[in-house]
Amino acid sequence: MPVADTARADGRETRSAFSRNAWRSGWLHLRRILLPTLLGVAVLALWHIAVTRGSVSPIILPPPSRVLGTLWANLPLLREHGYYSAFEALAALAISSALGLLLALVISTSRVVRAAVYPNLLVFELVPKIALAPLFIIWVGTGSESRLLFATFLAFFPVLVATLAGLRATDPMLVRLCQALGASGWQTFSQLRLPYALPYVFSGLKIASVMAMIGIIVGEFITGNQGLGYITMFAASNMETSLMLAAIMLLCIVGVALYGLVAVAESLINRRYGRPRS
Amino acid sequence: MRDNTIAGLAAIGVLILWEALTYAFQIPELMLPAPSVIAGEFAGESGRLILANTWPTAVQTVSGFAAAALLGIVVATAMVYSDIVRETLYPYLVAFQVIPKIALAPLFVLWLGIGFWSRFAFATFMSFFPIVIALAAGLKDARPEAVRMCAAFGGTKAQIFSQIRFPYAVGYLFAGLKIGATMSIIGVVIGEFITADRGLGYLILWATSRSDTPLVMAAIVVLCALGLGIYGLVVLAERMVNRVYAGG
Amino acid sequence: MSGSVAQLAEASEPYLAVESVQKVYNAGTSHELEAVSDVSFGVPSGQFLSILGPSGCGKSTLLMMAGGLEQPTRGAVRIAGAPVTGPRRSTGIMFQDPTLLPWKTVLENVLFPIRIQRLPLKDYHQRAHELLAMVGLGDFANKKPHQLSGGMKQRAAICRALITDPDLLLMDEPFSALDALTRDELNDALLDIWQRTRKTGIFITHSIREAVFLSDRVIVMDRRPSRIVDDIPIPFPRPRSMAIQDSKEFVDICAHLRGKIAHA
Repeated sequence: MPVADTARADGRETRSAFSRNAWRSGWLHLRRILLPTLLGVAVLALWHIAVTRGSVSPIILPPPSRVLGTLWANLPLLREHGYYSAFEALAALAISSALGLLLALVISTSRVVRAAVYPNLLVFELVPKIALAPLFIIWVGTGSESRLLFATFLAFFPVLVATLAGLRATDPMLVRLCQALGASGWQTFSQLRLPYALPYVFSGLKIASVMAMIGIIVGEFITGNQGLGYITMFAASNMETSLMLAAIMLLCIVGVALYGLVAVAESLINRRYGRPRS
Repeated sequence: MRDNTIAGLAAIGVLILWEALTYAFQIPELMLPAPSVIAGEFAGESGRLILANTWPTAVQTVSGFAAAALLGIVVATAMVYSDIVRETLYPYLVAFQVIPKIALAPLFVLWLGIGFWSRFAFATFMSFFPIVIALAAGLKDARPEAVRMCAAFGGTKAQIFSQIRFPYAVGYLFAGLKIGATMSIIGVVIGEFITADRGLGYLILWATSRSDTPLVMAAIVVLCALGLGIYGLVVLAERMVNRVYAGG
Repeated sequence: MSGSVAQLAEASEPYLAVESVQKVYNAGTSHELEAVSDVSFGVPSGQFLSILGPSGCGKSTLLMMAGGLEQPTRGAVRIAGAPVTGPRRSTGIMFQDPTLLPWKTVLENVLFPIRIQRLPLKDYHQRAHELLAMVGLGDFANKKPHQLSGGMKQRAAICRALITDPDLLLMDEPFSALDALTRDELNDALLDIWQRTRKTGIFITHSIREAVFLSDRVIVMDRRPSRIVDDIPIPFPRPRSMAIQDSKEFVDICAHLRGKIAHA
């Protein structure tokens, strides 16, 4: 039969296409990791060369080796202030989340209140609330309460807005179904609106974690006497650039960790209460 | 529309309440000045001060945002055209989006001084990432059927880009631009806080040091108006573009 | 009897020739897929051919190769003797999704292939209007796609496929996403267009009734391996009307084809 003949005749061709394609797909996977790594290595190398052999002053940009050395040498100091910043950011996130969720629940019980509040909230979200940081200094002073309050203030609104949006977002057909089944208000809320609102709530919490971090950092920049933000400013004023870079690196790590915390919480809760992603 | 009238009335109501409570309880100006007092700051000496400092802030915000938008479009386009560029850059773009970029503000001051350039660069830095990530996602997302249809009629890669990918990506682009606009002004304000050189952020700090709360709040009001104004321009631009590219 | 039309077509140098075509995707990787095993047939000029078969039998892949959007792993697809290496100006194509660009008017969408092929748009304006009138969309030239129903969008897609006056029209389940009534309407519209234009056409469908109603010839494909299992002529004279669908001969042909597909 012609089919079998052609198959046999081109068997060799198919086999070489086989190995060629296997190589190709492996290379593509490797490339995805290799290329960004190469870029990172290249940047670090350029950095090192620019400072040790080039014209860039080590005061402006210390070589990566010195930054790491400073980081290691000052580990206890950085760790202490790092915990401080992390704790403050976490506290701000926790308080703002609780307040935001609670207030959203209260507001959404009344259609009129929601209609009055929600559009104003959206406008408020767009406004650079960072500018209010000095106001908190006037009101609460320069201590840690002021920073905490400011960060809570910043992080509170994303949670409130997102939760309000989420509670509204339930498919109206499903709400009608619940009503048809004779479900009580509470049942409709807990069985339907809450699970549907979860993705919105978590996206709001993620933004809130970023805002809480920003609030703490900005607070420590302008008023700090403790925390990694304060260390950054302190090191900058003393021209200790390595320390400054080390503190900034740690600040970034704390920020990512906080965001990661929310992401992990999201996946845990989704596994128990959430809907499968469509 | 009815929703917005209720909200508008509520906002006005809050202002009136604020004014009334300030007088009823004799709240000191240091703590919470009445709206009328804040409005008064726009006249006379402080008014001139506010105006003088609004200009640099506005210029830096707009230029930082524009630079970020331009850079974002170029990089996102490169990422769509070249797999190598995309695979190299994408992890870093995501990484920079996730870290608290605010923390890097002092670096910009260290490297670029306390003048215009450090604040401009930082504003660009802050607003670049949401723009490029949004646009790259949009360009990649163009309906595959539309791409196939264009290819079926003989479309070249460039035509597929200009006729299909970019128009479909416009929605994503504007979503990124909106976030970028808000990030830009945040970057400028933080920059002004740190460099303490000029601008509304600096004015706020200066007024704080003199416990001049009405001036602080007046400056904040202008800053908020500026932020909303730039955001509003983006929304306007989006509406105009949508009239051409409606749907998607 | 089943091979006679095919043999006749091959004998007289068919307009479209599919010669021992095989298509394998991702050869050598873990997701290697043989979409088409070994298919050969010829389509004479002016014939309307339907390809029937279950999902995964390779009929869409064949169409893609005829349209120059895919290349066969082995074998060749030739149009008028020349191998198909890419999309051709004289091939029109339609897919299940009309994919009209939402920001362009209906008229601009119909003229889209002209713009892509960098031909002068104004030369084709009149033709575009005529085509739209032919499918009953004459008054909708300046409307946007979102103002059209699903059936109307596909009619516009037909016009777009015909704007360059192609010799070959390829259609990949163009009416599958529509409701039954609209589908019948569009079948009638397509028959009408065929009467007037007599192009060569390859039509892919899941519907046996649609295939028999529209075509001069039906090919049935099988999957695993993807090859032809039947190739029959459809003897009804044109012009055809919906009434023939109730005739005994129509019902018998459908039953025969159903049996061939069920075997697959």
